[in-house]
Amino acid sequence: MDVKAVLRLRWVQALIVLVVWAVTATALKGIQTQELSTATNSPFTAIMRDLAASIRGNRTESFLFVYVFNPLRAVISGFIEFFMGIIAVPASGNLIPLLGWFGTLAVIGFIVYATSTLRMAFVSMFLMLLCGMLGMWLLTMETLAMTIGAVVLSLLIALPLGVWAGLNDKVMKVLRPWLDLAQVLPTLVYLAPLALVFLIGIASATIATMIYSIPICIRITALAIKSLKQGPIEAAESAGSTRWQVLTKVQLPMAKTTIILAINQTTLAALSFVVIAALIGAPGLGKPVVEALTIRDVGGGVVAGLAVVLLAVMLDRSTSAAVNRDQSGYAAADAAKVRRRIGLAIFGVLTLIAIYLSRYLLWFAVFPEQLVFGERVAEAANAVSDWITDNLGFLTVTGSEQFTIWVLNPLQDVLANSPWWLTLIAITLLAFILAGRTVGILVFVLLALVMATGLWNDTMLTLAMTLIATGFVVIIGIVLGVWAGRSARADRFLRPFLDAGQTMPAFVYLVPVLALFGPTRFAAIVLGVVYAAPVVIRIVADGIRQVPKESVEAAVSAGSTTLQVITKVQLPVSRRSILLGVNQGLIFVLAVVVIGGFVGAGGLGYLVIVGQSKPELAGKGLAAGIAIVLLGIILDRIAQGRPQKSPQGRH
Amino acid sequence: MKRVGKSAGLVVALATAGLALAACGGGTVNEAASSSAAPAESSAAPEASSSAAAPANTDCGSWGVAMHAWVGYTASAQVLSDVARESLGCDITQTTLDEAGVTYDAMEAGSVDVIIEDWGGGRWQEWVDRGAIVEVGYNGNIGLIGMYVPQWMCDEYPDITDGTKLNEYADLFKTPESGDKGAWLEGPPGYTTIGEKLIEANGLNYKIINTGSEAALIEAFTKGNDNKEAVLGYFYEPQNFLAKVPLCRINFPANDWTDAAKASGLTDYPETPLVKLATVKLMDSGSPFATLVQNFEWTNDDQNQVALDIESGMTPEEAAAKWIAANPDKVAAWLEGTGAA
Repeated sequence: MDVKAVLRLRWVQALIVLVVWAVTATALKGIQTQELSTATNSPFTAIMRDLAASIRGNRTESFLFVYVFNPLRAVISGFIEFFMGIIAVPASGNLIPLLGWFGTLAVIGFIVYATSTLRMAFVSMFLMLLCGMLGMWLLTMETLAMTIGAVVLSLLIALPLGVWAGLNDKVMKVLRPWLDLAQVLPTLVYLAPLALVFLIGIASATIATMIYSIPICIRITALAIKSLKQGPIEAAESAGSTRWQVLTKVQLPMAKTTIILAINQTTLAALSFVVIAALIGAPGLGKPVVEALTIRDVGGGVVAGLAVVLLAVMLDRSTSAAVNRDQSGYAAADAAKVRRRIGLAIFGVLTLIAIYLSRYLLWFAVFPEQLVFGERVAEAANAVSDWITDNLGFLTVTGSEQFTIWVLNPLQDVLANSPWWLTLIAITLLAFILAGRTVGILVFVLLALVMATGLWNDTMLTLAMTLIATGFVVIIGIVLGVWAGRSARADRFLRPFLDAGQTMPAFVYLVPVLALFGPTRFAAIVLGVVYAAPVVIRIVADGIRQVPKESVEAAVSAGSTTLQVITKVQLPVSRRSILLGVNQGLIFVLAVVVIGGFVGAGGLGYLVIVGQSKPELAGKGLAAGIAIVLLGIILDRIAQGRPQKSPQGRH
Repeated sequence: MKRVGKSAGLVVALATAGLALAACGGGTVNEAASSSAAPAESSAAPEASSSAAAPANTDCGSWGVAMHAWVGYTASAQVLSDVARESLGCDITQTTLDEAGVTYDAMEAGSVDVIIEDWGGGRWQEWVDRGAIVEVGYNGNIGLIGMYVPQWMCDEYPDITDGTKLNEYADLFKTPESGDKGAWLEGPPGYTTIGEKLIEANGLNYKIINTGSEAALIEAFTKGNDNKEAVLGYFYEPQNFLAKVPLCRINFPANDWTDAAKASGLTDYPETPLVKLATVKLMDSGSPFATLVQNFEWTNDDQNQVALDIESGMTPEEAAAKWIAANPDKVAAWLEGTGAA
């Protein structure tokens, strides 16, 4: 190959850019880095600060607040408080909510039985009982009430929109950019603007939860309607049905299973948000988790986190069971139907008795102290965490320090501690080379916007952490994903960990990570890896499993070693999935790396947090939110690569 | 479809029956709520410690007390809440929130009425101007924020307490996070911090590390004390932690702290009399709780006693009850003018 041909290779071009960039950055280290101290406002953040102050000042007077935002806040709060009053929050001067714990437990069991199976009802009741025994009954119920309320409101908006988007491609076209944006948006970002408009409290927390869960619901519902078999629909149309009849009699019933799946996913999304929502006043289990971080109470955080996971498992399993029953339900024999109806009636009567007891007998009204062992769990968690910090601390600390010195700091020197224009040019060139001209121009514009916010340096700090965490995630994801994709036993072994990793709110492992690694950027990187790895492992494993058996067998019979089969056949064939995994990994990592602001990682996440509590820095918090969004779009677009290679983008 | 319809009908019927049953009153545990049992872990249960004698005044009303994370604040707020509940019969809801802006917003929104200890020099002015918040005077505690090192460092390097000499020791405090400068562990985002101004005004060769939480600071100081590691970090008094892990304060050349505008030239944290804030709604209500908030005043020692009990394993309720029982004179002085016996 001659030199020109080599130069035309994309990876060679990218490598040249990287080398030139690193050399120049080293030579110009510390010049024009745009570093801005936390207490100083840039021109843009000063504008945002004044804007925030004027919004705060207008809350009681401006038309928009008096007639739109404030009533909306009251309605949403009232709606959630209605659920709270039934199961979670006693009215003023009362000892228990409308239902005591025993009655609530029975009602949960009855609802699960009615929508899925008796077995599932007992499993659900057992899981909720465990939450009570952790000493978290009322907090769990607050979270449950808030989740139910937020899910109901989300479904009210998302189901009609989803159906409409499924029926009409034009609607989908209008919605798609918003759905894409909402998925790239790290959750921490919309808290501050919401709190500004709807104040701290249940309403803000609920709206934030809805913003997070609605796009997921719309997507699944639209897909469900769109991917229906056309036969029955055409038959109904030719039989003279109106469009409305086709929709309600044919399409919706056919799509019912997938729509229940949408409800399942919406519920889990809403629940996974409760801890973050505690930052803007959501009641329930998020509060002890966030407090644990401030007052160094590992045990308290772990106990509340466990309750979140139990609640998540309960909601996931019971709604999935509803999906399964829906798929098989119609086949049931008449005798079974009768038996079930009798069972439901008996369970219903028992539930009524339980409700009665829970209102008149103290033992059934207030969760009995004698059953609670949460404190012992907390003590055990504290003991384990202390032991780990005392005995393994030097390992983790030394390891993370060496890594910081040899990898993180050099990368940060190139990205953040070099002239801003050098980084801007280099990233734009890389975008051109890796993702084509359109993306290159887009990236240039977005970077210029980041520059305009005045938060260039902080954005680059966050970028450095994100890139390193994504590197780890991709390595772990490919190794474990290949393992799980090749062996069913490995898959079974990994699955519970993946499930737990995906349902556990990131805040729960913030405290142990802090204990192990101290307030460092490395701690934030670990957070990102723990959070994003399960997703990437899943996607890679799926990709490996979809490699045609014949190609693998052909390679094996040709005498390839296992390693050769993996590197020459399975990985190249599943290249698309791996790219998708990298893309998803990046987005997931970014969402959590900003939370690293809580453990001393600095960067944009810290500014978001600091903007919440210090009015004079509110503008920096809002601007940091904008910068995170810009960074998210940049990473997403570059990681998607050249458009023609992956036309559908992310799923 | 038919089966589903019937099941749904059944569910609705039972739900209606259940709600009717639940709504009909008469002798439920709620009517007996004034009896002894308290709910175990509610974050919002107002009667959590209403086990004491009959209230003197039942028209106190329902009020919200902001709870901040540090233990000293917890001590003050718990004692205030319990006196209000037990002696005045108030319905007090405690809400956990971040310091400053977040809480001021909550007060403007009406979900919180009292901050019993605020450290920020006048950051609430905007809310005062809008008629949401009013200053209710000092609570008697004197707050002192500062930069601290473990005691062993002061023993080993006696002049380290002189802030102007801090540059000579910068090498001791280097970490991978701070690069070639000394690491300056800054306070949590919600707390009052002026580290950047201090470094600039005193020409220090240190880099701010934003620790993000008080937990991280305590972790760092504990390690620094146990393993004789060099740590320079943000801390404050009154804080009971200082009794467990001896720290020593770095003093910077003093200058005058009056208002936020002039604070740009600040060179050290001043001693701050801590302020009580309340909503205008509460102070105008004529409720005896407003009088109690007005009268509430105690010393750093008082607060440390309660904080120590909380930290050594008592619940805030138990620790507050112990202090209230031991200090009837002080409580009686707070209750003057409330009409309580």
